[in-house]
Amino acid sequence: MLAYPLALIAEITHRCPLHCVYCSNPVVLTAAKSELSTEEWLRVFQEAARLGVLHVHLTGGEPAARADLCQLIAGAHSNGLYTNLITSGIGISRDRLKSLVDAGLDHIQVSFQDSRKEHADSIAGARAHEHKAEFAGWIREHRIAFTANLVVHQQNLGHLEEMIAFLERLEPDRIEIAHTQYYGWALENRVALMPTPAQLVNASKVLSAAEARLKGRIRIDSVTADYYATYPKACMGGWGHRLMLIDPGGRALPCHAAGVIPGLVFDSVREHSLEWTWRESPAFQKFRGEAWMPEPCRSCERRTEDFGGCRCQAFLLTGDASATDPICSLAPKHDIVQRVLAATSTGRPASVQPPVLWLYRPNPK
Amino acid sequence: MAEPLGRSKPKLALGCRWAGSDAERVVLFPEGAIRVQGPGRQILELCDGELTFDEVVAQLHQQYSLSDDQQIREDAARFLEQLHDKRIVDY
Repeated sequence: MLAYPLALIAEITHRCPLHCVYCSNPVVLTAAKSELSTEEWLRVFQEAARLGVLHVHLTGGEPAARADLCQLIAGAHSNGLYTNLITSGIGISRDRLKSLVDAGLDHIQVSFQDSRKEHADSIAGARAHEHKAEFAGWIREHRIAFTANLVVHQQNLGHLEEMIAFLERLEPDRIEIAHTQYYGWALENRVALMPTPAQLVNASKVLSAAEARLKGRIRIDSVTADYYATYPKACMGGWGHRLMLIDPGGRALPCHAAGVIPGLVFDSVREHSLEWTWRESPAFQKFRGEAWMPEPCRSCERRTEDFGGCRCQAFLLTGDASATDPICSLAPKHDIVQRVLAATSTGRPASVQPPVLWLYRPNPK
Repeated sequence: MAEPLGRSKPKLALGCRWAGSDAERVVLFPEGAIRVQGPGRQILELCDGELTFDEVVAQLHQQYSLSDDQQIREDAARFLEQLHDKRIVDY
């Protein structure tokens, strides 16, 4: 029997005051004029709750760029959904934050680029760091759960300890240390972001020490650097298995990046119910289960654990979305990943490296 | 991390709450959910922030009248300690 999704990722807008060089949004962004209306989102939340969805993650772009954010939170909350807001805090005043919390928000996640203002603002392509730190203080004025997220990469891993200390001072309930995942804008900027082996070894030590020190006080979760892994990540818990993402224009996708895979048609919530889309939409069925798997996945005992890895990564790196994720050491195209790692800087001091020419994510029209 | 003390009052941590039906109770937390059933559910349902850990153990003892009190205390403490490390329970 087909299980229904547990979580809905609602990308309510692609508009964003930040231009992060590793943004997970697609390279082709949805224009503001194509965004779903308030009523359409409220209907989506109602349908999601009826399907058995437990969590809704309101994300973007910057969700606060939508004037109706408070209404959307109230709508999700009134349907019994656990409502998580993923925000930079830009566009949320102290008063607006109070209204969002009062509307029934369960959790706020704020992503930080660095502990050092200049570095953080350079990665974000905007002066955002100081506001974020101030915003974190406002969050602590409310009884609401708070996760501080930090994306790590070659340019900031050298001072991971300092960054964790910075996050600790914000007094979050949870710290998430996420290695950059190479999709969208991050793939464009991969050369400058890919960590070195030495950085990874050090990061793992720093993380273990922080986990031990903060145990019972702040929970630390990490997202690993999959290019260095032996086996691929169980992306999204399997294609069309646990999660559904609705993009700003209403298209239903199995994940953030699925739009890159050619030949897939993503049905819209404007034309189909979530239930129909989950069960019947060809895009959701395409890589569900094991029938699509090539060898070595098809006969691999790990296929029920990692589902052959990530379809989008397989496409982005090999040109074939049905290939074994080349992260896997058993993948026929694993040499692609090995070549990327071989070309990764071996850690020259930053002072002698040429300045990075970032490709910044723009704001959609 | 220390086990819950006798007079501490365990409760679901900030950002965690009950959901689901009576037949299938789940605790939601920021990035996921856990299904709780059997003794774990009984323990967690008593952790309302009002009862002390001693009182939780006493109530469990009534429900499991044949069980050893010390055993119940140790099992409940270990269970809550695990959830405490995951920031699902506070005490």
